[in-house]
Amino acid sequence: MNSQYDVHGVGSSRSEVFGWLMQRITGIGLVLFLMLHFWVQHMPTGFLATAAEYSEILKGLGEKGPEFAGAIAEGKIREALPGEHVITYSKVLERLQAPLWKMIDIMLLFFALLHGMLGLAKVLGDYIQRSSLRKAAVICCWAVTLFLAVQGTVSVMTVGMN
Amino acid sequence: MLAVSGFAHQVYRIGMQQNIERSGPSRDNPSFRTFLSTASSYKVRAGMAAWLLHRLTGLALVFYLAIHIMGLRSLSDPAAFEIYITVYRSPLFKVAEVMLLGAVAFHAFNGLRILVQDMFFRSERQRTLFYIVLALTVIVTLAGGVPVIFPYFIAPLLP
Ligand code: HEM
Repeated sequence: MNSQYDVHGVGSSRSEVFGWLMQRITGIGLVLFLMLHFWVQHMPTGFLATAAEYSEILKGLGEKGPEFAGAIAEGKIREALPGEHVITYSKVLERLQAPLWKMIDIMLLFFALLHGMLGLAKVLGDYIQRSSLRKAAVICCWAVTLFLAVQGTVSVMTVGMN
Repeated sequence: MLAVSGFAHQVYRIGMQQNIERSGPSRDNPSFRTFLSTASSYKVRAGMAAWLLHRLTGLALVFYLAIHIMGLRSLSDPAAFEIYITVYRSPLFKVAEVMLLGAVAFHAFNGLRILVQDMFFRSERQRTLFYIVLALTVIVTLAGGVPVIFPYFIAPLLP
């Protein structure tokens, strides 16, 4: 296993089996979380604003401050098309008021990051032959993961606190 | 916990063993020639396509996940958030949204196929299972994609 060109994936070291098992557990979890996520954020359900609701929301925003009025005037914030459902700050805020939704979103975040980074580390391991470089790549992966985990958690936990 | 990890270890080792036994002579000397002979042998084609697509969709999703998390920093500023969402509502991004669903659907169904095959059986019917995965991917992508692009690309066509 410590040759420079060991055949990756054929060994059965402890961490390798752990990664393999984690990849599968998080995979199953992600199926459930992503179905829910897609339903809530991409489908025309009550979690999004209808075109009429969004129009009202924009009217309210326009009166709230110059940064909104400016963005609307420049088309950077745009009215919805007929039949379109829009993700909007107020709807997200409303949903994330519930601690359960905060928890679900953070679980999704952690599962996706863990699964994705285990996968990325494995792919990099397949193409990087030098073991020192491979180690460096894995360390980079986890550093980025840690950063994204903190960033995402902060976004979810502090929404509406400004 | 020990029992679970012992079991996982066994499944993993048996699987790897079978992979080695199956892969034949190419395992010891990967070269362009052995690659070509593998790629052109009919039986493994579906398996290779599945592997490649799984890898490509997985990497694309990791890339998108990072962008997505950085984008959500705008949750700290309502105006910035509405601007961010408006960008994602342009027609080009709506198409990308459906492609994202397609990538997730393929990766999920193929991942479940890998999972089931590792745990319960090593099917000789790789090709059939791969086509089932593709069919399910198309169905889910259409079912979820049509409502997404409807106001943009379908409603204008209606009388
Ligand atoms: C929807 C539910 C998902 C399921 C059921 C699933 C399942 C799997 C499985 C079983 C593997 C291991 C393949 C192997 O060991 O041969 C895998 C690999 C991978 N997954 Fe997922 N996955 C899902 C979602 C995701 C998401 C959201 C991402 C991105 C953040 C992702 C990124 C990856 C990557 C990068 C790999 C490594 C690819 C490779 O080794 O070639 N997956 N997935």
